[in-house]
Amino acid sequence: MNRQIRQLGIALLLLFALLFARLNWVQVFAAESLTADPLNTRRVVRDFGQRRGTIFTADGLPVAQSAEIEGRFARERRYPQGPLYSDVTGYFSFEFGATGIERSYNDELAGHSATQRFESFFDFFGDGDVSADVTLTITSEMQEAAANALGDRRGSVVALDPRTGQVVAFYSWPTFDPSTISTTNLDAARAAKVLLDDAPGAPLLTTAHRQVFPPGSTFKVITAASALENGVVTPSSPVFPERVNYQLPLTTVTLQNYGGLTCGGDLARSLALSCNTTFAELGAEYLGPQPMIATAERFGFNNAPPFDIPLSAESRFPSDFGAELGRTGQTSLAQIVEGSSSLAQASIGQFDVRATPLQMALVAAGIANGGQIMEPHVVGLVTDSTDGAIIERIEPSPWRDALAPEVAATTANMMVQVVKDGTATVLERGNLTVGAKTGTAEIDTSNGGDDTHAWVIAFAGPTGGEAELALAVLVEAVPGGGQQAGGAVAGPIAAAMIDAYFN
Amino acid sequence: MKAFFVGRHRRNGELILIILGGLVTTGAYVLASLGRLSSIPANVGPFLGVVLGLFFVAHVATRFLAPEADGLLLPLAGLLNGLGYVFIARLNDELAGQQALWTFLGVGLYVATLLVVRRSTELERYRYTLLLIGLGLLVLPLSPVGQTINGSRIWVRIGPVNFQPGEFAKVALAIFFASYLIDKRELFRAGTWRLGPLRLPEPKHAAPVLLAWGVSLIVMISQKDLGTSLLFFMLFLIMLWVATERLAYLLSGLALFMVGAYVAWTQFDHVQTRVDGWLNPWADPRGGGFQVVEAQFGLASGGITGTGPGRGYPQRVPAAETDFIFATVGEELGLLGATALLMAFVLMIGSGLRAALGARRPFSKLLATGLTGLLGVQAFIIIAGVTRVLPLTGVTLPFVSYGGSSLLANYAILALLVRISDEQIDRAADAPTPTRRRPKVAA
Repeated sequence: MNRQIRQLGIALLLLFALLFARLNWVQVFAAESLTADPLNTRRVVRDFGQRRGTIFTADGLPVAQSAEIEGRFARERRYPQGPLYSDVTGYFSFEFGATGIERSYNDELAGHSATQRFESFFDFFGDGDVSADVTLTITSEMQEAAANALGDRRGSVVALDPRTGQVVAFYSWPTFDPSTISTTNLDAARAAKVLLDDAPGAPLLTTAHRQVFPPGSTFKVITAASALENGVVTPSSPVFPERVNYQLPLTTVTLQNYGGLTCGGDLARSLALSCNTTFAELGAEYLGPQPMIATAERFGFNNAPPFDIPLSAESRFPSDFGAELGRTGQTSLAQIVEGSSSLAQASIGQFDVRATPLQMALVAAGIANGGQIMEPHVVGLVTDSTDGAIIERIEPSPWRDALAPEVAATTANMMVQVVKDGTATVLERGNLTVGAKTGTAEIDTSNGGDDTHAWVIAFAGPTGGEAELALAVLVEAVPGGGQQAGGAVAGPIAAAMIDAYFN
Repeated sequence: MKAFFVGRHRRNGELILIILGGLVTTGAYVLASLGRLSSIPANVGPFLGVVLGLFFVAHVATRFLAPEADGLLLPLAGLLNGLGYVFIARLNDELAGQQALWTFLGVGLYVATLLVVRRSTELERYRYTLLLIGLGLLVLPLSPVGQTINGSRIWVRIGPVNFQPGEFAKVALAIFFASYLIDKRELFRAGTWRLGPLRLPEPKHAAPVLLAWGVSLIVMISQKDLGTSLLFFMLFLIMLWVATERLAYLLSGLALFMVGAYVAWTQFDHVQTRVDGWLNPWADPRGGGFQVVEAQFGLASGGITGTGPGRGYPQRVPAAETDFIFATVGEELGLLGATALLMAFVLMIGSGLRAALGARRPFSKLLATGLTGLLGVQAFIIIAGVTRVLPLTGVTLPFVSYGGSSLLANYAILALLVRISDEQIDRAADAPTPTRRRPKVAA
């Protein structure tokens, strides 16, 4: 029997070794992802009631702070600006965890980052307060301008500095007051959460970076840039025919210009007038799938942007248009594929193309910044709560090289023409160089409606200087509200943002 | 007094280890209080005194009653029991008071068992009595005194006390299996009755074993106690395998188990819930997967060094004091503390199997194997459940979890192992010769 007993011993030893290996996995290797799991409220529970730093705007306005209270918890998180910064700060709830910067900068705010722990270790005589304040790159002036201009229309305004990626305004409507979920009255917090979860427009699901929409004609700048980069056109050649519609390859279906208008001309003119016919043909018959997919992905499509507000959605450009069928189009330089008619529609930002307002702002930023997209971020500085010493400064960091500098410059010039003599004249400012592209995106019209999303993407800078501001404005379709044109509806919001920034 | 000196080298090592374990326990107790309330507990002196005093009593009893016994078993049990107490106290004061009482009774039972069972082979005489007692204890919860707690009908309430008779049944049945299998092992080994490729013993000889095993499984299934039925099954398989030295029994038994588990999975809701909660607890994180998901979060928040006793949030895991105590330890003592606990079990298994290897009587050998297997398999299945290696089956972590029946039964097992390890030395020789001396176990 001794042999079996020894074998049993070895078997049990192996089983315990398995447990040891598993523990290593759970407690060390997977610990970070388990800790980051949205369902994991442990950190928040730990930090709830503890000292916690303040979140300030770039101009020093507190937007999230902890107040000392009586009761079960020592402190309560409050948001003095109400709903205005909710999409940035997120909430800090006992039961529902933290979102937004409250989540991504939780360690710093609560004093648990590596540097702060190191400091507290040697801080024998201090009061043990190692919490840090977080200063945003968002200014109260820009954020208020965004909220005032958008009003209570569903939509989003994202504005950033294209040179650094610093976001200066990040606002969506509908929004919510984070204090209602962060309150220490847990019953009230629960009720508020239930109400917000069911509220129309999903206020907790920030429109600006967590929801995607067809970008419509704003996507034409990507199609134009792809055509320039691949050398199939120049801004002035060829001249596309003036026409009312374009017959989609391999179909009898025609694609109309906006409002049924006659539209055409060279690339620059076509962009200024936003001719669907030109860009549909350009994408489907001049470029073909691979160049379009490549340019869209270089701009960040099919990837979630690195952003310090968690849970950004991925913007999508279809990655498969079917097999090649040979050159059957009359003017085509590119291979016609099974999905060429879809590609034609994707080239004007319809079909399955979807983008977040943040992504479209990054498109404008990339073009304005010589083709390079910087990582967007809303946090600029982390400082010690007690003495204000800088713990971390967020430096600009490139995310993507979307375009070659000369292609970016040419595309930017064409966008300036859109403002001077196209669909975005509302943005013309005498002392500034402003470039833009409007978009009027059809939503699913299967129910017979013709409701549209109104878009504008734009950049602006002093005349002759580099662009200092890039932005995207989205006003969502109102069910049954009919057509709302990008230039007319979203344009004034973009104009208000540019005025707020440069005045 | 001769016995007092015979095993003194082992007993002295044991005493040192008990003192070390007491200091570790008291240290953890102080840290837990500091972590939770930022103050050193007022009763730390008396606490250390009681912990040391209690196990000193057990030690002295061992010195007289089992002087040549393994010196590692008792200190390990003391350490596990002590650390378990600290974490129970940190979670729930009321349960801690009860656990302290159960510990006293457990140590008392340990001494009593050593006193009553002077030779392990004496137990053989009572094998059918023990079989009846074991089966009776198993059926007891189904009688009117039974109680259903958390969906399992495995409790009995007598006066103010709830207890799980199944915990004692496993000891009784282990003794019966050991005795019966040793007696009939030639018949089991020879196997004259053919069933397909297997040669099995005559049904007549296998009957009592199958009866014991079948009844325990049926009872367990009707009580919806998956963990304990798995434990009984493994106990039976291990003992059958070791007794007959035929691997075929183990392998075909495991195969049978797989089939049974699959059938149970297709037939029983509560089994499906457990399996779903194991494969993908995130599918229903607020329902069936809640306990396991929260345990993973707890373990992850502990990291390598832990949050420190009293500084984590183990109470977020339901049953943190009982089945999930390992998650509590992992959270607050980290990978280091959890590994130390695993090592303690490995050492305990090692000591138990060493006693089995050294035992001269086949019955004692098999009994020690079975009892050690019980401890090891039970610790494994609950830790595996907590860490999501296996589906969760609720059993206690021996010596660590809160639970009176479990603690008492484990102290009885401990006493039997100590008894068997004591019998390795040939009593005919008055004193051990130097060559028989083993290196000190503390090394």
